[in-house]
Amino acid sequence: MARGVMLMSGGIDSPVAMHYLLRQGHELLAVHMDNRPFTDDSPLSKVVDHLTILRERYHQPIRLYVVPHGSTQVTLMRETDRHVGCVLCRRFMWRSAERVAEREGATFLVTGEALGQVASQTLSNMRSATASVHLPIVRPLIGLDKQEIEAVARSIGTYEISTRPGVCCQAVPDKPATRSNLVQILREEERLDVEQIIDDCVRKAVIL
Amino acid sequence: MYRTLRVCSSGGGFEALPEPPRPVDLARIRAALEEAHVPVLDARVMLIATLEVEVTISRAGRLLFKTADPAMADRAFGRLRPLLEGGALGGGPAGHD
Repeated sequence: MARGVMLMSGGIDSPVAMHYLLRQGHELLAVHMDNRPFTDDSPLSKVVDHLTILRERYHQPIRLYVVPHGSTQVTLMRETDRHVGCVLCRRFMWRSAERVAEREGATFLVTGEALGQVASQTLSNMRSATASVHLPIVRPLIGLDKQEIEAVARSIGTYEISTRPGVCCQAVPDKPATRSNLVQILREEERLDVEQIIDDCVRKAVIL
Repeated sequence: MYRTLRVCSSGGGFEALPEPPRPVDLARIRAALEEAHVPVLDARVMLIATLEVEVTISRAGRLLFKTADPAMADRAFGRLRPLLEGGALGGGPAGHD
């Protein structure tokens, strides 16, 4: 079986996506993009608790990389067009996950994305976001609706963790673009030293 | 301008909104916070200040207090409110981690 890197947000979807792949026998590492100070401690604590359940269920160690993302968010807010902030944020998340994958010898990336739930999950925004990486991306939940995902989350014991109170990410723009094009996104990124930002973040990651 | 403090939609903090909606001068707010030695992060479209609790101040004037403790949120709101409404920051202890 293959080794992959899973982006874990603390939400309902990502532990369910991880469950599907672990069930098939794949080996996974987890990456959590730590958005503090734009959120509180709750997303990270949820991810830790999700992994406790999944590690026990599937008898895998599932190493967790906690990658600081707050300073990247500040840079994006200061230097780029807010309307495409979600897409730009996702591109940095993907790149960080891919960098971890390269370090760990993983050959694919995984996300709990479904289609159309939030601004970053429209087809055009997904395309713009994932154009930032080269590894294949697996989306186990793409064909499921919200009710189906929640039912699985309840059955594996992660739903209650995911729905604990917390502070939503404050970095989300008031009016995020639901459509983007890559030319526009690349133009925004020209203002940034992308490689330096990724290097700094992954270097500062805490491994749990 | 600000009427009430209420639990935010995801339940992990408290928020206050200006009524009627009214953008705030983040530069003025930042200067006043810094003068009071309150740690503040300027992300251009919002400020994150550390009073008794950490609070996000958006350009639109929305305040989000990152605490589940209503008394703590209320104290921090009480300090910030005069500043947001055109006056000075209310008295209280400096921010801490």
